[in-house]
Amino acid sequence: MIDSQNNGAIATLNRGVRAVPSLRQGIGFTVFLALVGASGRVVVPVVIQQAIDHGLHRSSKSSSTTAISQTVDVRLVIQLCVGAAIYLLVAALAQRTAVSRLGQRSEAALFELRVQLFQHIHLLSLEDHNDEQRGSLVSRVTSDVETLSQFFSWGGLAYLLDSALMVIVAAVMLAYDWVLALIVIAISTPLVYVLRRVQSKLIAAYDATRSANSFVLGSTAELVTGAETLHAYSAGSIFGQRVKKSAKARGDAQTKATMIGALLFPSGEIFGAIAVSMVVFVGLWRGPSSGLTAGALVGFIFLTYRFLEPIAELTEVLDQTQTAISGMRRILGILAIPVGPEAPKYPIKVGEGPYDIDIENLSFSYRPRDGESEIDNRTVLQGIQCTIAFGTQVAVVGETGSGKTTLGRLLSRFSDPTVGQISIGGIPLNRIQNDELRKLLVVVPQEPFLFSDTVAANLRFAFPQATDKQLVDAFSNVDLQDWFETLPLGLDTLVGQRGSQLSAGERQLIALVRASLINPAILILDEATSSVDASTEVRLTRALDKLSRGRTTISIAHRLSTAARADRVLVLDSGLLVQDGSHDQLVSTPGLYSEMYKSWEMSHNSTD
Amino acid sequence: MHDHSSTSGRFQRTIKLLRALISYHPALFSISMGGAALFAVCTVASSWLLRWIIDEVIVRRFDSQHFSLSRTLAAVGLLLSLSLIRAGGVIVRRSFAGRAQWRTAQSLTDEVVDVLVQQPPQWHRQQSTGDLLTRAGVDVDASVAVMAPLPYASSVILMMVIAGYGLISNDAILGIAATAIFPLLIGLNVLYQRRVDKWFDIAQGELGSLSAAVHESFEGVTVVKAFGAENRETERLAVIASRVQDARVEAIRLRSLFEAALDFVPNLTNICLVIGGAFRVRSGDLSVGELASFIYMFTLLVFPLRLIGYALSEMPRSQAGFERIQTLRLSPMLTDPRLKYAREGIALEMRSVSVGHDPEHVLLNDFSATFQPGTFTALVGYTGCGKSTFLQSLAGIIPFVCGEISSPGNNVCLVFQEPFLFGTSVRDNVCMGEPFGDEEMYWSLAVAEADFVHQLPQGVDTIIGERGVGLSGGQRQRIALARAIIRRPQVLLLDDTTSALDPNTEMKVLKNIENELSDAVVIAVASRPSLIGMADYVMFFHQETIIGPSQHLELLVQSGPYRALMQAYERPTEQVSAQSKDLL
Repeated sequence: MIDSQNNGAIATLNRGVRAVPSLRQGIGFTVFLALVGASGRVVVPVVIQQAIDHGLHRSSKSSSTTAISQTVDVRLVIQLCVGAAIYLLVAALAQRTAVSRLGQRSEAALFELRVQLFQHIHLLSLEDHNDEQRGSLVSRVTSDVETLSQFFSWGGLAYLLDSALMVIVAAVMLAYDWVLALIVIAISTPLVYVLRRVQSKLIAAYDATRSANSFVLGSTAELVTGAETLHAYSAGSIFGQRVKKSAKARGDAQTKATMIGALLFPSGEIFGAIAVSMVVFVGLWRGPSSGLTAGALVGFIFLTYRFLEPIAELTEVLDQTQTAISGMRRILGILAIPVGPEAPKYPIKVGEGPYDIDIENLSFSYRPRDGESEIDNRTVLQGIQCTIAFGTQVAVVGETGSGKTTLGRLLSRFSDPTVGQISIGGIPLNRIQNDELRKLLVVVPQEPFLFSDTVAANLRFAFPQATDKQLVDAFSNVDLQDWFETLPLGLDTLVGQRGSQLSAGERQLIALVRASLINPAILILDEATSSVDASTEVRLTRALDKLSRGRTTISIAHRLSTAARADRVLVLDSGLLVQDGSHDQLVSTPGLYSEMYKSWEMSHNSTD
Repeated sequence: MHDHSSTSGRFQRTIKLLRALISYHPALFSISMGGAALFAVCTVASSWLLRWIIDEVIVRRFDSQHFSLSRTLAAVGLLLSLSLIRAGGVIVRRSFAGRAQWRTAQSLTDEVVDVLVQQPPQWHRQQSTGDLLTRAGVDVDASVAVMAPLPYASSVILMMVIAGYGLISNDAILGIAATAIFPLLIGLNVLYQRRVDKWFDIAQGELGSLSAAVHESFEGVTVVKAFGAENRETERLAVIASRVQDARVEAIRLRSLFEAALDFVPNLTNICLVIGGAFRVRSGDLSVGELASFIYMFTLLVFPLRLIGYALSEMPRSQAGFERIQTLRLSPMLTDPRLKYAREGIALEMRSVSVGHDPEHVLLNDFSATFQPGTFTALVGYTGCGKSTFLQSLAGIIPFVCGEISSPGNNVCLVFQEPFLFGTSVRDNVCMGEPFGDEEMYWSLAVAEADFVHQLPQGVDTIIGERGVGLSGGQRQRIALARAIIRRPQVLLLDDTTSALDPNTEMKVLKNIENELSDAVVIAVASRPSLIGMADYVMFFHQETIIGPSQHLELLVQSGPYRALMQAYERPTEQVSAQSKDLL
């Protein structure tokens, strides 16, 4: 009788172990050590029982008030205790080793899992990397792996030690007196139910606390980052009140959670008292005739407490287990997404050129996401056909949604087309080894991304072996020597997070220098939409002129001034290639391009 | 000697901290302490009860072979009622301790919030964002962390006193031996927490850097792919992940060692108590029940000792957190720069004003100008020449270094280059807590060309930001503009506000402002030639001086550098026009 949810959980666990096989390594020995370790916990009650029944034995005729008549076998007690002490030491060492083994093995396995995730996520196609999904991708490798780590170091450990302890305590109790043992087990069963009920309430209360807290932290962060705005609009006290209100709500949620927690904790204790009372009552009632001794009954009282302790801990762990399993499920979900453009099975070397680009019958539609039928899938490009001779300056224009960005992505092989193919120098893109392709073709994205590091480190991202001199030369090669000299620390200038220490235009300059280090045959430029200040604009134009010489440049153009400078303009409209020609030809031909150009010209000539 | 005095100093500081924390909600805390005392008394009583049950009920029953129902029922009844009272004590203790802890956290948060909203921007600029957020978040939590275990810890101490007295008066030698173990166990616990926490903290820190690096690497995935750096990036992240792993493994290694020791020491003590007990029982000084209750009592105290160890090891962190909050609270309040502005006349006037972030770094010196109502002035110049600083000084965001500024009233609005929107509704972002009516709000949104808000799922009540819909840069700027426009400012300062808008919308917005706020002084940083063309006057920032305000054509004649800059703007357009002329 395994319900479907459990079944799912076990299946997830199995898949998880298959993904990280090292998890299973040496688990048998670890469990054995844990059992030995747990058995140490029953030593003290057994010793007390043995001492009472044998060492501290007295003649059954004497009453307890005449204590003098007790015959105490100190020798036996000492022997017993020395043996117990040695056993305790062995058990402690075994427990220590078990805990340490489990921890090290699971941390090593989680490290492997993380690296697998890094690799896999980097290889996913760009469609799986949009802004909305980034946060969840990051939390897969950070917080989801963390829940697994938490599980192994607390929950997994509890399963290991506590279940071992329960098994051993139950065995010892059954050996002493099976009637009493069954009573204890019967009374403990409803405790599991009570604890589960209260705990699920507690979990919900803690969730509420956490979300209340993150709201407090989020709105406090706004007070800090928006300090200037709040000051400029004298709205500090109003927004401060908002945070205080949320702090009050957090306090309420926390108070509620504490209350539930306060009720949860003593319930184990009350059950303990009931169980001990029953043990005492039944034990006394049956008396020595059932073979029970005073020592065994006293030992039993201690064992009952020991038996109930792990129940509370184990029920607590059940929720952690659920969290860990759903974390695991999410991680496996990521690993199940097929990687983006696949590496070629039978790569072909690209020759010495010329690197003409052939686009043949190219179509692209997004693959349907969950819940979308095939019919809804959005066709972005359809039947694009053209050849771009090596050394041509091409501008791709079209309105937002025309498919020009997608064409850029397909040309860069960030995605593979649904139908048709692109070849460079006669070799299809999907037959070219990635390393080779990235030396042949470089993409400068719309919002060039810079790592929070120095200028040099960002440039070396393209070409790790580059010397400082090569880097400095790269600036002068694209006519940016003068700008380079304005960088406060030269190559060591820190660019800040996402390059925030630089203006948008300056980030583009760095991106151009970075691309130039590769010296690619083909350059794909995704133009930025936002305006940049005049001096940077001049530099950008200059650097681009330099950079595009002697290679094919394909600009995904947002500004028609770029199109006007190109040798050839491709005009896209709703995924179709509608016009193809030089700027001058297209301006004079009635059609989409000449219309776009007219309205653009009007908005730009109001200076006069 | 020195060591001793520092220990007592630390003790005094601890007491001071606890008193300060308790002073926020003394009643809640006292009730919790009452519950704790009840718990302590019941715990000790339960060990006495156990002794009585063993000696007078169990042993007697097994010795005499006679089952006494009344005695048995009395034993069971006492056992049950005592544990019920004890449970009641636990509930009172825990619930009120938690309440005291979290209400104190709330009070501390309120204090931090007051500081954050009362201090002017120049104070905020001296602080690091991360540091302020740490104080408002982690430090508050750390400060109060010590409060919850405090009643429990005191009840444990109370138990130890009662039980220690009981143990020692019962059997001096065994009692002293058993109680001598307590400080050892507390010490072991404190040592454990400190040693292990160190590694958990390191792991946490490394996890933070892993998180940041992963985020950066995924965010830059286009660049990673563009340069075929997938494997390199994986390796880079793996290095950080392995540091997390190393710290964790170290923590686990220590933890396993301490856990085993903390289990072993009390168990061994119990075994020794049995040996010692055997001698005492033989000499008739101790009964079997007394020995058992001794061991029970001792076992009961072992777990709480761990909590005392925890509380003690948390103390330095609480102390540091609390002190950091207090320094924030006690930092001197800086004056609002706006208090220095004269409010007179109908025009915005600057007389011999110097502008800069501090007196040593003056960006612009000794500048005078008058801006008449209904005029539009464009600020032009290269990046970093002080245009933003100039506007921020006018708006009172940063204090000006010297000179005099007088404006026609309080109503000066600056719209920032990077608009800041709060994670609340569009309405709240526009009104910012002022009681503007719907009509005014829709008017301001219309003037700012922000009609897109009507298409949002809940219109102007749509929540924006992380918890709601995401907006583009241009949309954010238009909401920020509406925020200023709704206030019908006498002086409207735009810090390159419209640059993320497409040129057409930018023109429309500026025309709307011209028509609807016809009496306002408008000063705007301009990065597009079209905007310069619209302006009545232009101020050209060049080499730490300002040329103008003059008319655009005058400036073209007056200033060579200005001419050069304007030509730079027009070059791409010129080429196009030249080509298209050729064609014609």
